[in-house]
Amino acid sequence: MIVNWPEKFARKGHEIFLSGLPIALHCHHYNMNLQKTLEASLGSEGGLLIYQAAEESSYAGFTSFLRDHPRINTIKSKLELASTSFQYCGLGIINFTQIGPDGGKIASPHSHHVTGWLAKFGKRESPGCFFTRGWIGGALAVIYNKPIGYYLVKEKECKMTLARECIFEVTTV
Amino acid sequence: MAIDTDKIVHAVMHGSRIREEKGIIPLFGVYLSMIPVDFYNKISFGFEKQMQQPDEAESLLVNAAQECGYATFAGVRSSREWAEVVQPMISNDKDQIYSFVSIAIAFGWGDLGVRELIPGEKLVMRASDSYEAKGYWDAYGRADAGKCYMLRGVAAAFMDLVYGGEYPDGCFRYKALETHCQAKGDPYCEFVARKAAG
Repeated sequence: MIVNWPEKFARKGHEIFLSGLPIALHCHHYNMNLQKTLEASLGSEGGLLIYQAAEESSYAGFTSFLRDHPRINTIKSKLELASTSFQYCGLGIINFTQIGPDGGKIASPHSHHVTGWLAKFGKRESPGCFFTRGWIGGALAVIYNKPIGYYLVKEKECKMTLARECIFEVTTV
Repeated sequence: MAIDTDKIVHAVMHGSRIREEKGIIPLFGVYLSMIPVDFYNKISFGFEKQMQQPDEAESLLVNAAQECGYATFAGVRSSREWAEVVQPMISNDKDQIYSFVSIAIAFGWGDLGVRELIPGEKLVMRASDSYEAKGYWDAYGRADAGKCYMLRGVAAAFMDLVYGGEYPDGCFRYKALETHCQAKGDPYCEFVARKAAG
Protein backbone atom coordinates (compact mmCIF):
# COMPACT_ATOMS: atom_id res chain seq x y z
CA MET A 1 0.00 0.00 0.00
CA ILE A 2 1.40 3.40 -0.96
CA VAL A 3 0.87 6.11 1.62
CA ASN A 4 -0.04 9.52 0.26
CA TRP A 5 2.05 11.52 2.72
CA PRO A 6 1.08 15.01 1.50
CA GLU A 7 -2.52 14.04 2.26
CA LYS A 8 -1.50 13.25 5.85
CA PHE A 9 0.16 16.65 6.31
CA ALA A 10 -2.48 19.15 7.36
CA ARG A 11 -3.06 22.39 9.21
CA LYS A 12 -5.79 23.28 11.64
CA GLY A 13 -5.33 26.98 12.25
CA HIS A 14 -1.89 27.48 13.74
CA GLU A 15 -1.28 23.77 14.41
CA ILE A 16 0.33 21.30 12.01
CA PHE A 17 -0.47 17.61 12.03
CA LEU A 18 1.08 14.62 10.34
CA SER A 19 -1.40 11.81 10.27
CA GLY A 20 -3.21 13.33 13.23
CA LEU A 21 -0.15 13.87 15.45
CA PRO A 22 0.83 17.45 16.29
CA ILE A 23 4.22 18.29 14.83
CA ALA A 24 6.40 21.36 14.47
CA LEU A 25 8.73 22.39 11.72
CA HIS A 26 12.11 23.03 13.25
CA CYS A 27 15.36 23.53 11.46
CA HIS A 28 18.83 22.11 11.89
CA HIS A 29 19.94 25.11 13.95
CA TYR A 30 17.45 24.28 16.71
CA ASN A 31 17.79 20.50 16.54
CA MET A 32 21.59 20.62 16.63
CA ASN A 33 21.70 23.32 19.30
CA LEU A 34 19.45 21.27 21.55
CA GLN A 35 21.63 18.19 21.04
CA LYS A 36 24.81 20.13 21.76
CA THR A 37 23.30 21.71 24.88
CA LEU A 38 22.18 18.34 26.24
CA GLU A 39 25.47 16.62 25.50
CA ALA A 40 27.56 19.49 26.88
CA SER A 41 25.57 19.55 30.12
CA LEU A 42 24.76 15.89 30.73
CA GLY A 43 27.39 14.00 28.72
CA SER A 44 26.21 10.58 27.58
CA GLU A 45 22.99 11.02 29.57
CA GLY A 46 22.12 13.88 27.21
CA GLY A 47 22.41 11.56 24.22
CA LEU A 48 20.35 8.96 26.04
CA LEU A 49 17.62 11.52 26.72
CA ILE A 50 17.38 12.27 22.99
CA TYR A 51 17.42 8.54 22.16
CA GLN A 52 14.62 7.75 24.60
CA ALA A 53 12.48 10.74 23.60
CA ALA A 54 12.81 9.81 19.92
CA GLU A 55 12.04 6.17 20.70
CA GLU A 56 8.88 7.07 22.64
CA SER A 57 7.80 9.56 20.01
CA SER A 58 8.33 7.16 17.14
CA TYR A 59 6.67 4.30 19.03
CA ALA A 60 3.57 6.42 19.70
CA GLY A 61 3.52 7.74 16.12
CA PHE A 62 3.74 4.36 14.42
CA THR A 63 1.28 2.75 16.81
CA SER A 64 -1.26 5.46 16.02
CA PHE A 65 -0.58 5.37 12.29
CA LEU A 66 -0.90 1.61 11.94
CA ARG A 67 -4.07 1.58 14.04
CA ASP A 68 -5.59 4.00 11.54
CA HIS A 69 -4.27 2.06 8.53
CA PRO A 70 -5.07 -1.63 9.11
CA ARG A 71 -4.33 -2.46 5.47
CA ILE A 72 -0.65 -1.90 6.17
CA ASN A 73 -0.35 -5.30 7.79
CA THR A 74 2.74 -7.05 6.46
CA ILE A 75 6.26 -6.61 7.83
CA LYS A 76 7.45 -5.56 4.40
CA SER A 77 4.81 -2.85 4.04
CA LYS A 78 5.42 -1.62 7.58
CA LEU A 79 9.16 -1.34 6.96
CA GLU A 80 8.42 0.53 3.76
CA LEU A 81 6.13 2.84 5.72
CA ALA A 82 8.93 3.54 8.18
CA SER A 83 11.36 4.32 5.40
CA THR A 84 9.00 6.65 3.54
CA SER A 85 7.88 8.43 6.69
CA PHE A 86 11.52 9.11 7.64
CA GLN A 87 12.00 10.67 4.25
CA TYR A 88 8.72 12.58 4.24
CA CYS A 89 9.54 14.15 7.60
CA GLY A 90 12.76 15.52 6.12
CA LEU A 91 14.82 13.22 8.32
CA GLY A 92 16.72 11.64 5.44
CA ILE A 93 17.09 8.23 3.81
CA ILE A 94 17.03 4.99 5.73
CA ASN A 95 17.32 1.43 4.39
CA PHE A 96 15.73 -1.49 6.22
CA THR A 97 17.15 -4.21 4.00
CA GLN A 98 19.01 -6.31 6.59
CA ILE A 99 16.58 -6.36 9.47
CA GLY A 100 14.39 -8.99 11.11
CA PRO A 101 12.52 -9.56 14.37
CA ASP A 102 15.78 -10.34 16.20
CA GLY A 103 17.57 -7.26 14.91
CA GLY A 104 20.08 -6.66 12.16
CA LYS A 105 21.75 -3.79 10.42
CA ILE A 106 20.34 -0.54 9.05
CA ALA A 107 22.09 1.97 6.82
CA SER A 108 21.37 5.65 6.39
CA PRO A 109 23.30 7.38 3.62
CA HIS A 110 21.82 10.82 4.34
CA SER A 111 20.06 12.44 7.27
CA HIS A 112 18.83 15.77 8.58
CA HIS A 113 20.87 15.36 11.72
CA VAL A 114 24.11 14.54 9.90
CA THR A 115 23.67 17.34 7.37
CA GLY A 116 22.70 19.76 10.13
CA TRP A 117 25.50 18.80 12.51
CA LEU A 118 28.21 19.00 9.85
CA ALA A 119 26.86 22.33 8.56
CA LYS A 120 26.71 23.83 12.02
CA PHE A 121 29.53 22.26 14.01
CA GLY A 122 31.66 20.20 11.61
CA LYS A 123 33.15 16.77 12.20
CA ARG A 124 32.48 14.91 15.43
CA GLU A 125 34.86 12.52 17.11
CA SER A 126 32.14 10.05 18.10
CA PRO A 127 28.83 8.92 16.56
CA GLY A 128 26.05 11.41 17.19
CA CYS A 129 22.79 10.19 15.62
CA PHE A 130 20.94 9.73 18.91
CA PHE A 131 17.64 10.83 17.41
CA THR A 132 17.82 8.35 14.52
CA ARG A 133 18.84 5.51 16.85
CA GLY A 134 15.82 6.11 19.08
CA TRP A 135 13.53 6.62 16.11
CA ILE A 136 14.60 3.25 14.67
CA GLY A 137 14.13 1.46 18.01
CA GLY A 138 10.60 2.80 18.45
CA ALA A 139 9.57 2.07 14.87
CA LEU A 140 10.91 -1.52 14.92
CA ALA A 141 9.19 -2.28 18.22
CA VAL A 142 5.85 -1.37 16.65
CA ILE A 143 6.58 -3.15 13.37
CA TYR A 144 7.52 -6.43 15.10
CA ASN A 145 4.82 -6.05 17.75
CA LYS A 146 7.23 -5.74 20.67
CA PRO A 147 7.12 -3.48 23.73
CA ILE A 148 8.95 -0.19 23.69
CA GLY A 149 12.58 -0.65 24.67
CA TYR A 150 12.72 -4.16 23.22
CA TYR A 151 15.44 -3.19 20.76
CA LEU A 152 18.79 -1.62 21.46
CA VAL A 153 20.10 0.46 18.57
CA LYS A 154 23.81 1.30 18.43
CA GLU A 155 25.52 3.39 15.82
CA LYS A 156 28.59 1.56 14.55
CA GLU A 157 29.58 4.13 11.92
CA CYS A 158 28.47 7.73 11.65
CA LYS A 159 28.70 10.29 8.89
CA MET A 160 29.14 12.97 11.55
CA THR A 161 32.60 11.42 12.03
CA LEU A 162 32.99 11.45 8.24
CA ALA A 163 32.19 7.75 7.73
CA ARG A 164 30.71 6.93 4.32
CA GLU A 165 27.25 6.34 5.79
CA CYS A 166 25.62 5.81 9.14
CA ILE A 167 25.37 2.14 10.12
CA PHE A 168 23.08 1.12 12.96
CA GLU A 169 23.23 -2.25 14.68
CA VAL A 170 19.97 -3.48 16.17
CA THR A 171 19.91 -6.13 18.89
CA THR A 172 17.34 -7.23 21.42
CA VAL A 173 17.76 -6.10 25.00
CA MET B 1 1.65 47.07 3.15
CA ALA B 2 0.41 44.71 5.86
CA ILE B 3 2.05 41.33 6.32
CA ASP B 4 -0.15 38.62 4.86
CA THR B 5 0.30 35.69 7.25
CA ASP B 6 -1.91 33.43 5.13
CA LYS B 7 0.35 33.95 2.16
CA ILE B 8 3.42 33.07 4.22
CA VAL B 9 1.71 30.01 5.71
CA HIS B 10 0.76 28.87 2.23
CA ALA B 11 4.37 29.25 1.01
CA VAL B 12 5.69 27.21 3.95
CA MET B 13 3.06 24.50 3.59
CA HIS B 14 3.72 24.24 -0.13
CA GLY B 15 7.52 24.37 0.19
CA SER B 16 7.68 21.83 2.99
CA ARG B 17 6.15 19.22 0.72
CA ILE B 18 9.29 19.29 -1.41
CA ARG B 19 12.22 17.02 -0.56
CA GLU B 20 15.52 16.84 -2.34
CA GLU B 21 17.06 13.48 -3.21
CA LYS B 22 18.67 13.07 0.22
CA GLY B 23 15.31 13.24 2.00
CA ILE B 24 16.08 16.71 3.36
CA ILE B 25 13.68 19.68 3.29
CA PRO B 26 15.59 22.81 2.28
CA LEU B 27 13.25 25.77 2.71
CA PHE B 28 13.64 29.44 3.60
CA GLY B 29 17.41 29.01 3.79
CA VAL B 30 17.42 26.21 6.40
CA TYR B 31 16.96 22.44 6.59
CA LEU B 32 13.55 21.74 8.06
CA SER B 33 12.32 18.63 9.83
CA MET B 34 8.85 17.52 10.87
CA ILE B 35 9.03 16.07 14.36
CA PRO B 36 6.21 15.54 16.88
CA VAL B 37 6.05 18.36 19.43
CA ASP B 38 5.99 15.67 22.09
CA PHE B 39 9.64 14.89 21.31
CA TYR B 40 10.74 18.47 21.94
CA ASN B 41 8.80 18.65 25.19
CA LYS B 42 10.29 15.37 26.38
CA ILE B 43 13.86 16.48 25.84
CA SER B 44 13.41 20.03 27.17
CA PHE B 45 11.56 19.11 30.33
CA GLY B 46 13.52 15.87 30.74
CA PHE B 47 16.71 17.92 30.58
CA GLU B 48 15.36 20.36 33.14
CA LYS B 49 14.46 17.52 35.51
CA GLN B 50 17.89 15.88 35.15
CA MET B 51 19.92 19.02 35.71
CA GLN B 52 20.89 19.65 39.31
CA GLN B 53 20.06 23.35 38.94
CA PRO B 54 16.78 23.94 37.08
CA ASP B 55 17.59 27.66 36.63
CA GLU B 56 20.69 26.71 34.71
CA ALA B 57 18.70 24.34 32.50
CA GLU B 58 16.19 27.10 31.78
CA SER B 59 18.93 29.52 30.85
CA LEU B 60 20.66 26.98 28.58
CA LEU B 61 17.43 26.08 26.79
CA VAL B 62 16.44 29.71 26.27
CA ASN B 63 19.93 30.57 25.00
CA ALA B 64 19.91 27.57 22.64
CA ALA B 65 16.59 28.76 21.23
CA GLN B 66 17.76 32.36 20.95
CA GLU B 67 20.93 31.42 19.10
CA CYS B 68 18.89 29.10 16.90
CA GLY B 69 16.25 31.75 16.23
CA TYR B 70 18.97 34.23 15.34
CA ALA B 71 20.68 31.85 12.89
CA THR B 72 17.43 30.43 11.54
CA PHE B 73 15.80 33.76 10.77
CA ALA B 74 19.04 35.16 9.38
CA GLY B 75 18.89 32.25 6.93
CA VAL B 76 15.20 32.85 6.35
CA ARG B 77 15.79 36.55 5.66
CA SER B 78 18.45 35.86 3.05
CA SER B 79 16.53 33.07 1.29
CA ARG B 80 15.01 33.00 -2.15
CA GLU B 81 11.59 32.33 -0.63
CA TRP B 82 11.88 35.44 1.54
CA ALA B 83 12.82 37.56 -1.48
CA GLU B 84 9.91 36.21 -3.49
CA VAL B 85 7.14 35.97 -0.91
CA VAL B 86 7.93 38.17 2.07
CA GLN B 87 10.17 41.02 0.95
CA PRO B 88 7.49 42.63 -1.26
CA MET B 89 5.30 43.03 1.86
CA ILE B 90 7.98 44.75 3.92
CA SER B 91 8.25 48.49 4.12
CA ASN B 92 9.94 49.04 7.50
CA ASP B 93 11.73 47.34 10.41
CA LYS B 94 8.52 46.55 12.22
CA ASP B 95 7.29 44.61 9.21
CA GLN B 96 10.32 42.34 9.51
CA ILE B 97 9.31 41.41 13.05
CA TYR B 98 5.72 40.80 11.95
CA SER B 99 7.01 38.62 9.11
CA PHE B 100 9.20 36.58 11.46
CA VAL B 101 6.17 35.99 13.66
CA SER B 102 4.12 34.90 10.64
CA ILE B 103 6.83 32.42 9.65
CA ALA B 104 6.95 31.06 13.22
CA ILE B 105 3.17 30.54 13.02
CA ALA B 106 3.66 28.79 9.68
CA PHE B 107 6.25 26.49 11.30
CA GLY B 108 3.63 25.39 13.84
CA TRP B 109 5.22 27.10 16.83
CA GLY B 110 1.96 28.55 18.17
CA ASP B 111 -0.80 31.09 17.57
CA LEU B 112 1.59 33.98 18.01
CA GLY B 113 0.70 37.63 17.88
CA VAL B 114 2.54 40.89 18.44
CA ARG B 115 0.89 42.87 21.24
CA GLU B 116 3.37 45.72 21.33
CA LEU B 117 6.44 46.70 19.37
CA ILE B 118 8.52 49.75 20.16
CA PRO B 119 11.32 49.78 17.58
CA GLY B 120 14.67 49.05 19.15
CA GLU B 121 13.20 48.93 22.65
CA LYS B 122 10.56 46.35 23.30
CA LEU B 123 8.65 43.47 21.76
CA VAL B 124 5.64 41.90 23.46
CA MET B 125 4.59 38.65 21.82
CA ARG B 126 1.68 36.53 23.00
CA ALA B 127 0.44 32.97 22.39
CA SER B 128 -2.72 31.39 23.67
CA ASP B 129 -1.74 27.91 22.50
CA SER B 130 1.94 27.11 22.97
CA TYR B 131 2.93 23.47 22.57
CA GLU B 132 5.52 23.91 25.30
CA ALA B 133 3.04 25.20 27.89
CA LYS B 134 0.47 22.60 26.95
CA GLY B 135 3.08 19.81 26.97
CA TYR B 136 4.32 20.77 30.42
CA TRP B 137 0.83 21.04 31.84
CA ASP B 138 -0.18 17.66 30.42
CA ALA B 139 2.95 15.89 31.67
CA TYR B 140 3.61 17.54 35.01
CA GLY B 141 0.66 19.71 35.97
CA ARG B 142 0.83 23.34 37.04
CA ALA B 143 4.28 24.93 36.78
CA ASP B 144 5.72 27.48 39.14
CA ALA B 145 7.51 29.37 36.34
CA GLY B 146 7.20 29.94 32.60
CA LYS B 147 7.99 26.87 30.49
CA CYS B 148 8.04 28.17 26.91
CA TYR B 149 11.81 28.24 26.56
CA MET B 150 11.83 28.03 22.78
CA LEU B 151 9.39 30.90 22.21
CA ARG B 152 11.09 33.01 24.84
CA GLY B 153 14.46 32.68 23.13
CA VAL B 154 12.93 33.27 19.73
CA ALA B 155 11.22 36.52 20.83
CA ALA B 156 14.62 37.94 21.83
CA ALA B 157 16.20 36.62 18.61
CA PHE B 158 13.69 38.56 16.50
CA MET B 159 14.78 41.79 18.19
CA ASP B 160 18.46 40.80 17.90
CA LEU B 161 18.11 40.36 14.16
CA VAL B 162 16.28 43.58 13.46
CA TYR B 163 17.73 45.95 16.05
CA GLY B 164 20.87 44.19 17.34
CA GLY B 165 23.28 45.32 14.66
CA GLU B 166 25.00 43.49 11.84
CA TYR B 167 24.68 39.72 11.60
CA PRO B 168 26.38 37.68 13.09
CA ASP B 169 27.40 40.06 15.89
CA GLY B 170 23.96 40.93 17.22
CA CYS B 171 22.93 37.77 19.04
CA PHE B 172 22.04 38.16 22.74
CA ARG B 173 21.78 41.96 22.52
CA TYR B 174 18.18 41.44 23.67
CA LYS B 175 16.81 39.27 26.42
CA ALA B 176 13.25 38.02 26.83
CA LEU B 177 11.20 37.12 29.86
CA GLU B 178 8.05 35.06 29.91
CA THR B 179 5.73 37.19 32.02
CA HIS B 180 2.70 34.91 31.69
CA CYS B 181 2.53 31.22 30.89
CA GLN B 182 -0.38 28.85 30.51
CA ALA B 183 1.71 26.18 32.25
CA LYS B 184 1.36 28.36 35.38
CA GLY B 185 -2.37 28.67 34.86
CA ASP B 186 -2.26 32.06 33.11
CA PRO B 187 -4.76 32.59 30.29
CA TYR B 188 -1.98 33.02 27.73
CA CYS B 189 1.80 32.99 27.37
CA GLU B 190 3.47 36.36 26.95
CA PHE B 191 7.07 37.18 26.11
CA VAL B 192 8.65 40.57 26.63
CA ALA B 193 11.97 41.19 24.90
CA ARG B 194 14.09 44.22 25.82
CA LYS B 195 17.72 45.23 25.46
CA ALA B 196 19.97 43.05 27.58
CA ALA B 197 21.66 44.77 30.51
CA GLY B 198 25.32 45.65 30.02
